[in-house]
Amino acid sequence: MTPRIHRMLVRLIAVALLTTVHAVSPADSTFFESKVRPILEDHCFDCHGDDKQKNKLRLDSVAGILRGGESGEPLLLRGASAESYILKRVTSANDKEVMPPRKGGGERLTAEQVGILRAWIDAGAKMPGEEAAAASLRLKTDHWSFQPVKRPAVTKTGGEIDELVLAKLREKGLTPSAVADRASLIRRVYLVMHGMPPTPMETDEFVNDTRADAYARLVDRVLASPRYGERWARHWMDVVRYADTNGFETNRERKSAYHYRDYIIASLNSDKPYDKFIKEQIAGDALGVDAATGFLVAGPHDVVKSPDINLTLTQRQDELADMVNTTGTAFLGLTMGCARCHNHKFDPILQKDYYAMQAVFAGVKHGERALREKTDTSAQKELVALKAEAATKNAQLDALRKKAETAGSATAQAPLARGKLRPPVNARLNEDTFPPIDATAVKFTILATNSGEPCIDEIEIYDASGQNVALAEKGAIASASGSLPGHEIHKLEHVNDGKTGNENSWIANVRGQSWVQIGFSAKSRIQRIVWSRDRDVRFADRVPTQYRIEVASESGKWTTVASSEDRQQFNAKGDPGDFFAKLPASEASAARKLQADLAGLKTRIDKFSENAWVGNFTAKPERTHRLYRGEPMQKREVIAPDTLTVMGTLGLAVDEPDQQRRVRFAEWIATPQNPLTARVLVNRLWHYTFGNGIVDTPSDFGANGISPTHPELLDWLADEFVKGGWSIKHIQRLILMSATFQQSSTPRADAAAVDADGRYLWRYTPRRLEAEAIRDSMLAVSGTLDLKMGGPGFYLMDVVTENVMHYFPKEKYTPAEYRRMVYLFRIRAAQDGVFGSFDCPDGGSVMAKRSRSNTPLQALNLFNSSFITQQSDLLAKRLRAEAGESPDAQVSLSFRLFYSRPPDAYEQQKSVEMIHAHGLQSFARALYNTSEFLFVF
Amino acid sequence: MHPFLNRRSFLGHTATGLSGIALAHLLGQERAFGAPGPIRPQINPANPNAPRSVHFPARAKQVLMIFCSGAVSQVDTFDYKPELIKRHGQPMPGAEGLVTFQGAQGNLNKSPWEFRPRGQSGKMVSDLVPHLGALADEMCFIHSLTGKTNTHGPGENFMATGFTLDGFPSMGAWTTYALGSENDTLPAYVAIPDPRGAPQSAGNFWGPGFLPAAFQGTDFNATQPLRNLSRPSEFSPATDRATREFIATLNRHHLERFPDDSELAARISSYELAARMQLSVPEVADISSEPAHILKMYGADQSGNPVKDLKAAYARNCILARRLVEKGVRFVQLFNGAYQTGGEGVSNWDGHKSLQQQYVKHGEVMDQPTAALLADLKQRGLLADTLVVWCTEFGRMPTFQKGASGRDHNPNGFTAWLAGAGVKKGFSFGATDEFGYKAVENIATVYDFHATILDILGLNHERLSFYHNGIERRLTDVHGHVIKDLLA
Repeated sequence: MTPRIHRMLVRLIAVALLTTVHAVSPADSTFFESKVRPILEDHCFDCHGDDKQKNKLRLDSVAGILRGGESGEPLLLRGASAESYILKRVTSANDKEVMPPRKGGGERLTAEQVGILRAWIDAGAKMPGEEAAAASLRLKTDHWSFQPVKRPAVTKTGGEIDELVLAKLREKGLTPSAVADRASLIRRVYLVMHGMPPTPMETDEFVNDTRADAYARLVDRVLASPRYGERWARHWMDVVRYADTNGFETNRERKSAYHYRDYIIASLNSDKPYDKFIKEQIAGDALGVDAATGFLVAGPHDVVKSPDINLTLTQRQDELADMVNTTGTAFLGLTMGCARCHNHKFDPILQKDYYAMQAVFAGVKHGERALREKTDTSAQKELVALKAEAATKNAQLDALRKKAETAGSATAQAPLARGKLRPPVNARLNEDTFPPIDATAVKFTILATNSGEPCIDEIEIYDASGQNVALAEKGAIASASGSLPGHEIHKLEHVNDGKTGNENSWIANVRGQSWVQIGFSAKSRIQRIVWSRDRDVRFADRVPTQYRIEVASESGKWTTVASSEDRQQFNAKGDPGDFFAKLPASEASAARKLQADLAGLKTRIDKFSENAWVGNFTAKPERTHRLYRGEPMQKREVIAPDTLTVMGTLGLAVDEPDQQRRVRFAEWIATPQNPLTARVLVNRLWHYTFGNGIVDTPSDFGANGISPTHPELLDWLADEFVKGGWSIKHIQRLILMSATFQQSSTPRADAAAVDADGRYLWRYTPRRLEAEAIRDSMLAVSGTLDLKMGGPGFYLMDVVTENVMHYFPKEKYTPAEYRRMVYLFRIRAAQDGVFGSFDCPDGGSVMAKRSRSNTPLQALNLFNSSFITQQSDLLAKRLRAEAGESPDAQVSLSFRLFYSRPPDAYEQQKSVEMIHAHGLQSFARALYNTSEFLFVF
Repeated sequence: MHPFLNRRSFLGHTATGLSGIALAHLLGQERAFGAPGPIRPQINPANPNAPRSVHFPARAKQVLMIFCSGAVSQVDTFDYKPELIKRHGQPMPGAEGLVTFQGAQGNLNKSPWEFRPRGQSGKMVSDLVPHLGALADEMCFIHSLTGKTNTHGPGENFMATGFTLDGFPSMGAWTTYALGSENDTLPAYVAIPDPRGAPQSAGNFWGPGFLPAAFQGTDFNATQPLRNLSRPSEFSPATDRATREFIATLNRHHLERFPDDSELAARISSYELAARMQLSVPEVADISSEPAHILKMYGADQSGNPVKDLKAAYARNCILARRLVEKGVRFVQLFNGAYQTGGEGVSNWDGHKSLQQQYVKHGEVMDQPTAALLADLKQRGLLADTLVVWCTEFGRMPTFQKGASGRDHNPNGFTAWLAGAGVKKGFSFGATDEFGYKAVENIATVYDFHATILDILGLNHERLSFYHNGIERRLTDVHGHVIKDLLA
């Protein structure tokens, strides 16, 4: 008997038994069995039943109906048959979509059958045993990483790591290696923890330290150094796809993104508890740590806008996908991205879960925001004091300025040969003063420029008390004859946003006459206007050279108060001339000092209004819909912000305020009960320390990832991590203090035959250093490394600014580029000319594990680049200065700098010969290219 | 070994050394789905670009990809539409309310260039590209390509990497990852940027994405030599040699303490490869040895005005491309057009506002040198093993933009052509509608295009993969069908 015939027989009997019950209501729980299930059975079970489950859909159980198929489309929307997927498929007019499929010879359901399904769904789609079925769907994963962390039993305290590693070695028939010699050990500790070798003095101290706890002291010292945070921040920046430009074709600079980078460094250096670190990065705005939310918006972001709605929606979906994916991989080791279009194929992640997580970030937008750290009470006090000081100095300068103007004729000096004309305009700063006048608005009309459409970065309008009444934050509103289209950064709002420089400037849309007007929120008595093209003095094109300034009275009457007519002709070089030359020497120098002081004060004051690339938030985000196949135009049901279904629920409303969504979600990630969070992080620590993680796929703890080599060790570390108050340094101290870490790296043929890659940790496995560690080490040994921490990054690219940015690798380097590479201004889709070939990620996507390529291009870059030639020269100078002219001493010092050890006799002899024959710089160039320098052993 | 690599011999290949865990993983996957699992080439760290086996017999060994940045208009070049000419100046039916990248549409606009039948096949090609038209019998056109985006950056990412987003490996990186190189003294993958600069998606075009850096394209052209290739002037040739030997001495001495360490051995051999490259790259890049008739054929001898200078510079890049193909470089990428410099459409094919004035120049620069390159490859017998791919990020509208004399972006139907090894000659596949707006016949995606190119190279696009962040990544994501009709 075929299954089908068997089913029919069973049903015949069931129907016979039910005939006594007539006219079952669709709202009745028996309606399903008597009316609905028979339809499914006849038309659907062949493909979606016991035998086959096409697209993973089963309709022969209540649980199967509730779960739906691979598409992620819920079959039933109770009470809404028209929107229910099952109805859409059985009634589809499209032969390719309709179920049962036409292709397989299936017949359409009759109108009566469709009517039964419709009535049932509209009446609530009741099914017997629903609760039990729903319960059976919950928490249906036995994958290891979703199970609670289980601290394994160990025999002794204090050596747990080694005990668990040893157990595995024994199981594989392996034995551990002896402890490494002191010099190798300190070098390894420094390279792993700081990304730079120890100095010869540090090495000597440790090698000669006879105290029993010498190594423990070394570990403490290394963990306490600020170099530690810089090194490990770089790892985290890989995980959170950090870069300093937007990516995509315009790839503009994010000059204020570094605040987040500095936040990471400071957090690691202060051993901020990891649970706090998580919460701050996801919801720092709620915790008074604004810079931390740079995490959310560190990824690439397409700024090319179009009236095409499809494009706009896709861009937004891509932005949110970047946040969801990064959060999933960084903290949870889960690949959420797979569920954007359908239920995850390997992991217990539903398509719905992807959109629930997307809803968590629905209020987050790329962009800059003011840092609260700069706006708290003590900061406000400081700001008020600075502003008062500036006002006083401005008043003093004003007095001198007036004097200078009136003194013009008295001191007839050379510059005045051109009569009473004022200095010409310049790109950097111009001032127009006039008798105090009541005004409601100021209109700045540009009649001509030195080139192109006019550009103004700021217009400041001062009243008698020295207040700039033009600021937008004071309610002033800017309008203009037009703004240049296609130039995202040159917006009208920049003329009175309090920010200066080309990035904060406005450009008019026409070359000829144009105007910009600033209307005040209330009548103001004004007397001085300061304006400029580019106060950073990077650009001197587009300068308004002929202009007129008019003010409007309350009655609407316009009066011209200043113009370029009484100025000297524009000087192409933009030299402002020396306005104060007309004053007696003492007063002139006082005036110049005031000018300098004011510039300094302005820089300090500007810092308070400085914004950072840490994202913007919409308090009430739009509702999130699940999207059929991830298509932005194919909206399905509304989804509330939530965690993964398999891991419980946050119980948030669909309209939950933005901040609350992120706070609750972050708390869920950072709870000790979350089985993934601690495991993922301790594995990352292990990965960066040993070159391989216990789980070899550090950002995938799902079924598609690789199982842990040492599951007990992973759980012990995870448990210890949480018990130790989520202290990262605590775990790192345990790892560094373990005999496992301190093993020699010397290979042993017997062990290599069993485990060539050292996955079971029978030695410390050597590996090539990352690009950053190589460059930092090079600067460190030449003695040129600049250890300045934080602030704007340095560039290894020359930048040409247009609507799209152009980046060209630098060929010449100055000390400005001698900082640690974590401070590099990292540009997406552009690789540094020397170190880009060393698998240096550009922040295009999360990079949990870098490749370690060895290529001829790397060799060419290290052998021939001007960077290495220059560093070789600087190193040669250092060797001469510190070791004198004796090649023997030079060799000895250089080996200690490069390899933390003295040369052996062979090396000594060969090196001295090299110096004699080809000079110190060539010798230095060679050392930079040696394997021992480029690897950690 | 037989080039056909069946499942068993593949596993035999990989069941060594570091692949142990990957293999277990692979087997696990196969069990779960009963379908053939991913193929991840095994890379020898000492020589990451050593030649590797194909998945099935290949039709071509090398690829020359010519990419025109800025979106070349199909209706002004290769997609002949009589109806567009006939209804010039009339509104396009259904275009009311149609919003494309820059906004609203004006009327249908025929091409300013005449179309004429070319070659034996009588293929209609416009007078904008007459030299290429003359070679129409060599080409295999796809007129029904469709993209996923109408912006340049994502569009170029898509054509280059199969993804609109940043961060994915380029097709050339995938190819060299799969196949390595037959020539160990030249980079396996060379990108030749336009004389005016990089394309709009810049380094993404030849970047490694998440693949190891060994597989990224090396960028240089006839004017800009490979960075860090030549000896710094501070060191004499003798010193340079001695330094190289001294490095080898120290490295070998050090290696005695770590016998059999493959990464350290790889480092040493990378310096040997670099030394060979220092000799071979300048040699291949030096086109001064080319005879006068070849320079003339490409237009590399022209000068006298900015357009001719530019044409000559691009022509020299074309000659460089041929020399690289000749030397067996696996993947050569040649660019025509650079990202926006001086405004849209000035330095690339982005003709929004004044298409005719801009395309006159772009056609002049691109046509003759590109055609000469194809003809030269043919006369040297290089097309037997080389697949030539000509493409752009998307197409343009058959209408002019409202109030302008140019065409807006259009990813709904555009043209690319293939030539050489593995593909039909004088063949056209797919079609757009009567105006050239939308693909309507044999609609093909960029995924299909990529799948077909990999197939011609003997690679299964559904199986060639690299594990990254929890996903077996492919050039074609989870899409793509080989367009069998194109294959010879």
